[in-house]
Order: sequence, then C-alpha cells, then structure tokens
Amino acid sequence: MSANLAISPELSKEELDPDFTTRMIILGPKANVSENEIVSQMHLLDLPITVKWTCYGAMVSGNEEDVMMAIKEIRKLDPYNIFTKSRGFPPGDPRRCRGHRYGPREGFHQMESEYRILADVGDALKNPKDVLIEKPKPVDVDELVEIVNESIEKEDSAEK
Amino acid sequence: MVKVAIYPPNSLVLGDLIERKGHTVLALQKAMSKKVRDPEIDSPPMNITEEDPLKGLKYAAIEVPSGVRGRMAVIGPLIDEAEAAIIVDDAPIGFGCIGCARTNELTMFCLRKKDIPKLELEYPTNRDETFDFVGKINKFLDTLDGEGGN
Amino acid sequence: MVKIALVSCGTEYSGIQKEIEKAALTFGAEIILPEIDLDYIEESYTKFGFSAQSSSLKLMIARAMSIVEGRCKADAVFVASCFRCAEAALVRNEVRRFLQENSRIPVVTYSFTEKTKADELFIRMEALVTTVARRSILAREKQEGLTLGIDSGSTTTKVILMENNKVIGTGWNPTKDIMESVYKGTEQAFAETDYGWDDLDGIGTTGYGRITIGKELNAELIQEELSVNAKGAVYLADKQRGEATVLDIGGMDNKVITVNNGIPDNFTMGGICAGASGRFLDMTSRRLDVDITELGPLAVSGDYRNAVLNSYCIVFGIQDLVTTLAAGGSKADVADAACHSVAQQVYEQQLQEIDIREPLIQVGGTSLITGLVEAVSTTLGGIDVIVPDYSQHIGAVGAALLVSGLGTRQEDKKA
Repeated sequence: MSANLAISPELSKEELDPDFTTRMIILGPKANVSENEIVSQMHLLDLPITVKWTCYGAMVSGNEEDVMMAIKEIRKLDPYNIFTKSRGFPPGDPRRCRGHRYGPREGFHQMESEYRILADVGDALKNPKDVLIEKPKPVDVDELVEIVNESIEKEDSAEK
Repeated sequence: MVKVAIYPPNSLVLGDLIERKGHTVLALQKAMSKKVRDPEIDSPPMNITEEDPLKGLKYAAIEVPSGVRGRMAVIGPLIDEAEAAIIVDDAPIGFGCIGCARTNELTMFCLRKKDIPKLELEYPTNRDETFDFVGKINKFLDTLDGEGGN
Repeated sequence: MVKIALVSCGTEYSGIQKEIEKAALTFGAEIILPEIDLDYIEESYTKFGFSAQSSSLKLMIARAMSIVEGRCKADAVFVASCFRCAEAALVRNEVRRFLQENSRIPVVTYSFTEKTKADELFIRMEALVTTVARRSILAREKQEGLTLGIDSGSTTTKVILMENNKVIGTGWNPTKDIMESVYKGTEQAFAETDYGWDDLDGIGTTGYGRITIGKELNAELIQEELSVNAKGAVYLADKQRGEATVLDIGGMDNKVITVNNGIPDNFTMGGICAGASGRFLDMTSRRLDVDITELGPLAVSGDYRNAVLNSYCIVFGIQDLVTTLAAGGSKADVADAACHSVAQQVYEQQLQEIDIREPLIQVGGTSLITGLVEAVSTTLGGIDVIVPDYSQHIGAVGAALLVSGLGTRQEDKKA
C-alpha cells in the first residue's frame, strides 16, 4: 500500500449501494448507558448492520432503513442522551482513517466542540423550560462618566 | 416532513434535533457520502475534482478562490433543496468543508435570501442559553408543515 | 521516506490533494498531517496571534506550531492555500516565516487553483526532498577544488569552471544537440585556462538537460534548477544569509524564487506571454536596429513616458513602438518603454503571486540589460536590485559550487 494519505479505497459492493449509510451514535456526558451496552444492544436487534465501537459511542452502517431502525430502537435506552449524526465516509475508509492519516479527520474537531454542550442539550430535551436570557448591555454613559471621574479622583489623591 | 438546511451544515446538535422532530436534515455529510462512494470518481480523499470548482461557478464568480467554489459545489445544492433553514451564528469552529470563512459567509447569505421559513440564533455559551437554544429550535420545527413533528 | 507535512486550509476542496501526493511520491516523499487536538488548536492560535476568521487557517497555524514544538515529526513542510484568497495569503506567508524562524525544517509554499497538476508541483517537491536529503550540500557557501558546472537550458547552454572559490572559465552557446552544446561550452571554458577534463574534481549539472548530461559525464551532482539557481544567486550576490528574491526573466520563460538562508522556499514560473519575456526586448532591439547589448544603456538614457505604448502584447506593443518612432520619437525613449513594458508585465503576471523579499537578485541573460533592471526596480517601488557578476551563468555557477566537496576524481586517480 502506498504511504500516501489520499489513496483510492476499495469499497465493498454494499458500501457502493446508494442506500448505504453510516451513522455515528454519540453518547452525551450524562448518558446512563455505556458504549458497550449500545453495541451489544445493536447486535441483539438482529438487523443486517455493521456496528463498531468507538471512543464517542458507536458507528453503525448498512442499508439506510435498517440503520435508522436500529437508531430508533437504541435511542429508547436513554432518549435524551443518545445523539446521532450521519458520516460521509464508510467505517475504516483509508481516506479518513485516523491511523492512516496520522491525525483525526477534520469533522472530528467539530464533534468534539459540540460534545461540550450535549449534557445541557439532553437536559433541555428532558425538561424543557422557558428561560429569560439577558444580553449584557453596554454601560450607561452617565455611569461611565461617573466611573472615570472616580478613578481620576483616586489617582489624584494618591499622587498627593 | 420538511427538508431543513442548517448552518453549520454538519452540526451534530442541529441535525439530531431536526431528525427527532421527524424532518429531514440537509446535512453536508450526506452529500459527501454520495460523493465519496461514487465509483466513477477517483480523487481522494473527498472525491472533489477539478470539475467541482467549475460547478461552484453557479454560486461564486471565477475570481473567487477554487476552495470556495469547490466547497460550494457540495453545499450549494443543499441550499437549493432547502424548504426551511436554521442558521446558528458564532457556532464553534469546524474544519474541513466548513473551515473557510468566505464559503461560510456565502452559505449564510444564500440561505438568508431564500424565501423559506428561517430561524437564526446564536450558539449557546451557558446552560440557560442552551435551554433557550433547544426550546427555540423545537418550537420552530413544530411550526413547519403539519405532517412533520411527532 | 521523507515526511512532508501538509499545512493548508483545504487542498482537498480544490480537487488537487491527489496531485500533491502524486508529486511528493515521485520524489520518494509522503504527505502527512500533523496530529493535534481541539484544545491545542485554540491554544496555539492564540499564541500565534493572527486573528484569522477561517477556522481551517487556525488549523493551519496549529499544525505549523505542532511542527515547531516537535509534536509532529516532519522532515519538510508544504504550505499551500488558494490563489486569490487574501486571508489565506496573509496566513500562508506568516506561517512560512514562523516555521523558518523557529525551526530548521525546509518549507515550500504554493498558491493553487483547481487547475494545479502534479507536474507543476514536481520541481517544488524535488526541491523540498533535496533540501532534506542534501542539507549538507546546500549548506556549502564556498567552492573548493576544480569543478565544472553545466546549466543546460531550453535555449542556451551555460558552462562555468571554478577553482578555489573563483570563476576561471565561462562558456555560453545556444542549445542545439544537447551534448554537442555541452562540449562546445566546456571547450570555451577550458580555453581560458590550462586545464582539461582530466584535471576536474567534479561535475555538476542542472537545467532541462541535466539528467542526460549527468549520465553521459558521470556527474557527481544532478540537481533541479530551483535549488541550484537560488544557491548560485545568493552566492554571487554575497547574500547567503537572510532573505532574498531571485528573478530570472528568460528568453522564453521567467522564474521568481524566494530564498531564506540560501534555501528556496517558493517559486513561480511562467511562459505564456512573449510580452513578459526577453523575446520582447530582442524584437525591440531588432526594430531599433541596435545590438541587444546596447539596448540597456540606450533605455537608461531615455524616458518611457515619452513613448506611447498601449499594449504589452509582442504584436501590438511592438507596433506601438514603431508608430512612436515614425512620429519622430527617440530610440532611447522607445527602448526604455520596452523595458518598462516587460517589467510591468512580469509584475502583473508573476511577481504578484509571491511575497517579494529584499534584496532582489536579478539573473539570467536579460539581467545584463541595464534598462530592464532599472525598470524592474521602478515597478517594484524602488526596491534594491542586485545584478551580480556572471549573473547570466547563474545555474552553472550554482552547480559548480554545490558539486565541490562531492567530486573526488583526483583522489580516486591516486588510489
């Protein structure tokens, strides 16, 4: 195999099928299930799908209908803390495989940053509530003048 | 069921929330998925070829850098297909397809000028804002087409 | 394998990733991406201090930082961004400078379009790999022993004979049969001395015909012209340390090379417009009925503003000059206008693509046309332009310099 990053992959017949899809199952920080449970549960569904255990949860691929069915079932385990996102490349594709590229694919960083709000997103889904968001406003001009005068006075008295 | 375009076009949270309400998310990865699995193209890693920046001319002039036009060749058709849109300003940094600020400015502009239901909001920076963010998105999604939602 | 780290904001989206890798692989190198995590991107971007809006440019900065900090093991760096993107061009140049100032890893930069093909990148990749594999050779600042440098160009073949850091013989003739031109040029070079083929310590070749000639003569050094010309220019101009730009306006094509401590890091080459080449000046001198060697001083004595020149084109531009002459314009003004026309056209077509660094070392046959050198300086806002001795033999000088220390012909004979 060439040492290059951009090597042409050999995709399987299944992967070349237009209905083939790959989904990432991402467990929020407050999830009550483990990656392991997700993977075993997926296997128990007895659907023609491929499941892979990953650092963020799992990756599942196969026919779109089967994959979506599996996701629907798996979400039941913890509806508010299991998230999902589609993935462009089939699992283990050498064009995007971390091991091969010496670094994570670009999309990973995006997921990494969105992961940081997943706990609150989960809570907001579970117990929706209206909140009042107050945007900080620029300080009032009179107040600013007052503060400036105060600090000038302080400096002056310190100099004396 | 409504086809909802999103910005950032590869957002995990937006895509997930839209699908929970039974709508279709016009996710960038889905478009990429078709491209990278096209056996007719051999231009790894993204299967974007010399032809794509030319297709991107539909959205940006020839004087626009090739990287913007190449990205627009993938993102543009998603905007064309959109029946509704959710735009998030100040979203966390994403790379790759959405790593180019000029492409992103053009994407947002194309979405904004489209005559479709739109929701524009800021990316949350704390817990309260996240509740507000999720609430607003869910309410918006519920207003779209009676067949959608569950 | 030589590991070349790719620092770019998206070669993949212009459809040229494969071309870059193909070019690298041709020269025994592989492309790698420095591994970094999200926190590191934010941390290094803040440390670097350039507020780029595009996140991929932040990623680019972080990747460069990880190379400098030794988190990523790379032998060389290829910094690339889209042609015509102002934001990326700023970051590209600053990242390049940052890498050069903080590491000894060779860097090459490039601005690409969707039309970029592997063969356009070959010379850059070859130069990168050369710099890695032959750093000790490129570090050479002094010529020793008796060496011959041959630069076989598409139009002319240049030969230089050097002994103990001095040029002692030169040869120059049009390239016809490659080897015949070499033998003729070498005879010219030897003719000025008492030496012959048997006295040489080593031979270095460069230019289009370098491989054929190198094999035929068992040359100790066969090297692409980018490294050789850059080295030759800074050697002759005595600018081996720091930054410089080498400009060669050729008879058919032009080269601009930027150099950092004697090592080339960017390069642009063009040859689509005769109006931006020495050919335009050749035509002008014929029309003016002066020898090409007289054109320069003639131009210096004239003022281009007095001649009407509405076109850069070799057809319409020359016609304009003829019209000026017919209307009673002076030959000197016309000569100066021709020089300015070429300088401006080179600026429009090429110099804008590259970050010009002072001093500018002008080389090649056209560097002997003083009017052109003056016009280049004016066009670039009065920049300092150096034309070193033997500037028309630059590649051959570079080859003779770099091969010294490699050739052991005399020692081998004794053994």
